[in-house]
Amino acid sequence: MSLPEVLPSRAEVIARVKSQGKRLLAVMPIHYPRALLRAYGFHPIELWGPPDAPVAQGARHFQAYTCDIVVKATSFLLSGGADVAEGILVPHTCDALQGMAAVLHDFVHPRQRVLTLYHPRERREADRLYYVDELARLGRDLEELAGKRPSEGEWTEALATETAATTALAELYRDRPRLALGDREFYTLVRSREYLPSEDFIRIASAVQRGAPRAADGVPILLSGIVPEPMSLFDAIHAAGAAVVADDLACGFRRVYEIPERGSALERLAASILDAPADPTRGTPLAERAEELILRMTSTGARGMLVYGVKFCEPELFDLPRLRHYLGEAGFPMTHIEHELVSTLGQQAVTRIEAFVETLQ
Amino acid sequence: MSTTRPASLPIAPAQPAAAGAARPSREGAASKPSTAFRESTYLKHLFGYEILGKPALRLQRWRDEQAIRAYEPKPTDVLSPPLVCVAQMKELMTRHYLEGRYASGVKKVAWVTSGAPAEILKAFGFFLVYPENHAALCGVRRKTEEIATEAENAGFSRDLCSYARTDLGTVLSGKTPVGRLPRPDLLLCCTNICQTVLYWYRNLADLFGVPLVLIDTPFLYGEAQPHQIEYVKRQIEGIIPVAEKVAGKALDEERFESVLQHARDAADLWLEVLNRSQNRPAPMTAFDGFIHMGPIVDLRGDAVTVEYYRRMLKELDARVAQGVGAVKDERYRVLWDNLPIWYRIGGFSKLLAQHGVNVVVSTYTYAWGELAPLIDPAKPLDSMAKVYLHPILNRSPADKLRVMRRMVKEFGLDGVILHSDRSCKPYSLGQIDERELLARELGLPALLLEADHSDPRAWADEQGNARLEAFVEMMEGRG
Repeated sequence: MSLPEVLPSRAEVIARVKSQGKRLLAVMPIHYPRALLRAYGFHPIELWGPPDAPVAQGARHFQAYTCDIVVKATSFLLSGGADVAEGILVPHTCDALQGMAAVLHDFVHPRQRVLTLYHPRERREADRLYYVDELARLGRDLEELAGKRPSEGEWTEALATETAATTALAELYRDRPRLALGDREFYTLVRSREYLPSEDFIRIASAVQRGAPRAADGVPILLSGIVPEPMSLFDAIHAAGAAVVADDLACGFRRVYEIPERGSALERLAASILDAPADPTRGTPLAERAEELILRMTSTGARGMLVYGVKFCEPELFDLPRLRHYLGEAGFPMTHIEHELVSTLGQQAVTRIEAFVETLQ
Repeated sequence: MSTTRPASLPIAPAQPAAAGAARPSREGAASKPSTAFRESTYLKHLFGYEILGKPALRLQRWRDEQAIRAYEPKPTDVLSPPLVCVAQMKELMTRHYLEGRYASGVKKVAWVTSGAPAEILKAFGFFLVYPENHAALCGVRRKTEEIATEAENAGFSRDLCSYARTDLGTVLSGKTPVGRLPRPDLLLCCTNICQTVLYWYRNLADLFGVPLVLIDTPFLYGEAQPHQIEYVKRQIEGIIPVAEKVAGKALDEERFESVLQHARDAADLWLEVLNRSQNRPAPMTAFDGFIHMGPIVDLRGDAVTVEYYRRMLKELDARVAQGVGAVKDERYRVLWDNLPIWYRIGGFSKLLAQHGVNVVVSTYTYAWGELAPLIDPAKPLDSMAKVYLHPILNRSPADKLRVMRRMVKEFGLDGVILHSDRSCKPYSLGQIDERELLARELGLPALLLEADHSDPRAWADEQGNARLEAFVEMMEGRG
């Protein structure tokens, strides 16, 4: 069976999860502690837009210079798209999402409760101590919403399942050259984490056939950015003669967490996010991020980096000049294509991709 | 991997092996300057700043004061003559930037964000550079476009904050209207105004190869939680060992307490200064406030700042006693939300004054005064944690709306201008709802004015002025 046949749709997942008596939480990008949500009986459905949401309702609350993810997600929420959810979790990823959480919380007052989570931007002892307390605070909010506190058994199950799902995702990346999946299929599977229950993800990810390692089907590149929308981006990359062999996507590799085995549940969850791969939204120093990217490109054979960035995304835009410098020094060309969240890929982007791939051939 | 930085940055060197442009590297700050170089930098500081600069600026101030006092108002003037103390403010700020030109090698230099707990560094004797203030100054002098273009040419998007682009443009090109900025030995960044400063200072840390101390302040969607205050306190404590290492000395507790006391006194006075505009007519405009806020931002913790605002208050009191308003025929009183549009301050002030409008208060200038009561020099770190967690920009828009509602009442306002600032998203997101609520609940004309605090390319005079005039007409229509 092909991947699209195996993967259930969001609507199917939502119906099934609801019928199982679980509660749904709409979750904005990027990082959040899945095991914490699970322990309290919540299932996350992530909102990265969606790209085809009309902007009118969101644009009534946000200026034209606001990132599309925020405007479209707000439109989607206001049009009733997430009415099945009992709460909306808006992690503090950037100023735009801060603004979204505040506007929802203070002015829009959606039916669902608005939950927030502030991530520290460093990895010092003070940050770790704070983050554990902050996760505990989120836990108290979830407890109020759920009307219950998780048992020891529920905590154990949640941590075990989410650790297994995290491992399954990491193995997909590790085994990538051996997987019988094209780029679009691979990222469809990776992105199914945005709505699929973890046990389903583990099952489907483990079932993907592994064969002998094979060379990339085109000029190998690393794809960076927030979210590859529309997914036809991968078709355009393939048509241009390139293949994505690694990524630095906010919805992709940046969320390949490692949940440590030691410590309390909250300490483990805090560490998994704080020690995740480099991410400007978590404040990773530039040289460190560049070093990680160069290592990833070297180990996967990527020849250049394509940054596919959402317009007005400050954390991404600020890093580009220095990343270009570091990558250039290491012999890796980089190009940046800015996009809005739409369901069709513009011809201009296609041309830019073609031109970039040509320079790498 | 290589960590090579650009061959040179045209910013005054801290301790280079030879005179000229800095060669930024992580090791650069640690290398010892030669005795000859040290002597020459001290001599330059002595002659350029102490012997020649300071007296020349004092003389200039005296001349400016005389000119203001001698000014004969014309019947066509819509604004009163400027406050005489503006000459001293100009002297203080110019002296600060002049000292900066000669600071490298003489003092340790720190670049800090406007909302950072800089009192600790001041107690260590660091010379402090506020890149935001420098960028605002570039805006006032209409240099932003030229300097920001340098950053844009280096790859920084025009969608990024114009303060950041201006600062990075200065770092990369050396262009600045103040002559020269001293190279930092330390960077202190506090996220209580935005996350933008984090990305901006990460770039500075990378370009200069110097330590960056981050004070990360969780955004307050409601009341501050104990763990959030504790987090900020721990980080403020963390400044001390880094500053000690860079400064090569221990923190002088007594001096720290005195700096905090000065900071508190100045903030108290600044609040009083701003509140004087509750009088009718208001003795100053919010546009004056934007200009006079230089010392409370850049020279917070200095005795001279306390002295300056005491003098300013006295002058305002004299105006109040004589019934002198900043706008000669004050008929409408307005609030300004968000940062000013630096390159249009004078133009707006006159344009509005022609219609009898005085912008008497702004949420922005209040940010440096409203938290004064929280500063407790006897409990420095605890009180600083609370102060630096609570600026208006780190609180929810509903809280800002409460502040604006209170201002409408206390200042007897007739309208509100909300500057929708492309460069300051944390301040601007939420304004659409705020405008609607202010208009609906209080029945006030409320204008959302699209611009950028520093980059004139985001402003069109014709449309902008037309919108302002329509706003004035709405107030006139209400009688």
